[in-house]
Amino acid sequence: MSTLPPELAQSFAVAMGELGFCSTAWLYVRVVAQAGGDELVTVLREQLGRTFPVLDAVAADWLSGQRAPSVDAGAVFSACHGLERLLVVGLEADFLDALLPLLDGVEVALLSYSMVDVDWERVSANYAGRVQLVDLAAAQEWAGSRSGLLTFVYGHNGHLSHVRPSWLRFIGDDIRTQFRSILGWNVLRAPLYVYPRWLVETPLSDFSEVL
Amino acid sequence: MSRAQLVLCTVLLGALVLQAARPQFRLLIVTFAAGLSCLLSTLLATGTTSQLLSEVPWDVLIILVGLGLLSELLVTSRLFGLLALWSTEASRANPRRLLVYFAIGMYLVSGLVNNLTALLLVLPVLLILLKLMGVGQRFVSWLLGTLLIACNLGGAATPIGDFPAILLLGRGKMTFGSYLSHALPPTLIALLLLILAVVLLVRPTHGMTPSSLAEQLSVRVMRQLYRNVRLDWHLAIPSLSWLLLMLIAWLLVPLKTGITPDLICWVGVGLALLWRASLGEKLLRTRVDFEAALFLLGLFVMVGAVRRTGLFALLANRLTALPLPPLSQLLLFLVIAGVTTGLFSAGPSMAALLEVAEVLARRFPPHAVYVGLALSVCAGSSFLLTAATSGPLLQTLTERAGLRDRSGNPIRFGFFEFLPIGLLGFAVIESVAIGYALWATY
Repeated sequence: MSTLPPELAQSFAVAMGELGFCSTAWLYVRVVAQAGGDELVTVLREQLGRTFPVLDAVAADWLSGQRAPSVDAGAVFSACHGLERLLVVGLEADFLDALLPLLDGVEVALLSYSMVDVDWERVSANYAGRVQLVDLAAAQEWAGSRSGLLTFVYGHNGHLSHVRPSWLRFIGDDIRTQFRSILGWNVLRAPLYVYPRWLVETPLSDFSEVL
Repeated sequence: MSRAQLVLCTVLLGALVLQAARPQFRLLIVTFAAGLSCLLSTLLATGTTSQLLSEVPWDVLIILVGLGLLSELLVTSRLFGLLALWSTEASRANPRRLLVYFAIGMYLVSGLVNNLTALLLVLPVLLILLKLMGVGQRFVSWLLGTLLIACNLGGAATPIGDFPAILLLGRGKMTFGSYLSHALPPTLIALLLLILAVVLLVRPTHGMTPSSLAEQLSVRVMRQLYRNVRLDWHLAIPSLSWLLLMLIAWLLVPLKTGITPDLICWVGVGLALLWRASLGEKLLRTRVDFEAALFLLGLFVMVGAVRRTGLFALLANRLTALPLPPLSQLLLFLVIAGVTTGLFSAGPSMAALLEVAEVLARRFPPHAVYVGLALSVCAGSSFLLTAATSGPLLQTLTERAGLRDRSGNPIRFGFFEFLPIGLLGFAVIESVAIGYALWATY
């Protein structure tokens, strides 16, 4: 069986900071599949899946025949109806890129806090002034009766879901009452199979809606 | 040596050694030593503080600050990030091609902006790419070392690229066009020789197993990281146009009109900033490189204090009195310039050696002396990692990036990792400097 170059783990860790776990995983799976088909995707899953659980889940989806992430931005757009401001916690490039054009008239901010390295200026440049960066201290200024909070959920089992640690850093009982909607956008089709490294658990009851 | 010469020279050399040994206190050491020089000059009756301050080449500081602000406008337009992405795509993340593309890119960028800015613009993108590629210690050392030297060469190629050349322009030793036409070819030759030596003789990619998958992924990730980043044409075009107009004015406006290079820079940058007034005001308030300006101000004061004692004139006389043919004296001077710059860094060496160069320039074609000196200072800056301020910056940025090799071992870039590249760079550039001086005098 073929093997993959060892530098892929470091490379994935770099990309996931700015593109997001799921978006990076889809990029890697596509390129690896292009180079060596399903056989090499299986190798990718075996070599890096335990280190990067979202990559494991995406590779499994690929091997079961799925060829693209399920980005249902329309459902999230509907859930944002009536909102004037949306604060996004966490980053998934493919998903945010699809959602933003739909949110015409809604001010969008991104919490510039991450446990992994991110060049926030570059992230912001990708959204050409459409997304404002806010730090933890200023994030609460985005609360209000017409404000929403959105994060990316990495699979759930009906009770518990996995999210980025930045979500737990921000959310709390006081925060929940300050936003009209607290949305979780599930970017994976199934719960994670391997140990959820890089992620933390949170109850689904945290969210007013999971999409 | 008189008492004043001994005391003020000791202050200058002491400050230079201390700032090299304790770079974390560099600014404090130099500014304090400058104050001390003023005090001692007054007490020893060689000059007053107002005399020393009036002799500071303010024009050099104006050009340095002005061009720094213009670079900031170009940074805000995202021009350099996109150029780095283009280099990544063109090299297809192949290590050898990457070294060649980025070395040439660094040379071009640092010809327009100062070396520190050039590194700050290009390095973040490159470090991300190196992380994505998963390269080894040997390759990283040679790649970053070559880039640092390319950066120094780019700075010496144009009269606005780095402090030594700006000083020549500001002091009126050479005109803009004359410096450019004489310095550009030898720096380009030195760059090509360096790249050839590294790629063909040193072969830093030797032993690396190329992985087309890793290279492909690196390029794809880089494209994604910049997927919607667009050049701000409304900022880039006017900024580049003002720069072009300034270049034309530097080339065409004669010095006898009184419209000096610093005045052209002052007005040109002012207009460029006024074009986007709110951004211009913000850059002026927050992005002026006070550290570099203050450091150079301190150096100029100390060097001025020593000059007033007559020590540089004495050294120049000693050099010209050596029992050597005149050409050998010039070559000896160039070698001394290279070595002293390696030890004391470019700013102080250039400021001090220019006094001696003026004497030599009366006996040889001025461009042979001044361009030879600029090249030797460039060779010295490339000798040791500590010889130029861009070296420690490169070291810090690399350490902060936390690069690791394929086995997960941390990759370092410090004094000893740079030393072999520094020696090669010094040998190549100093040889070109000597070759240029010989060619120009015949």
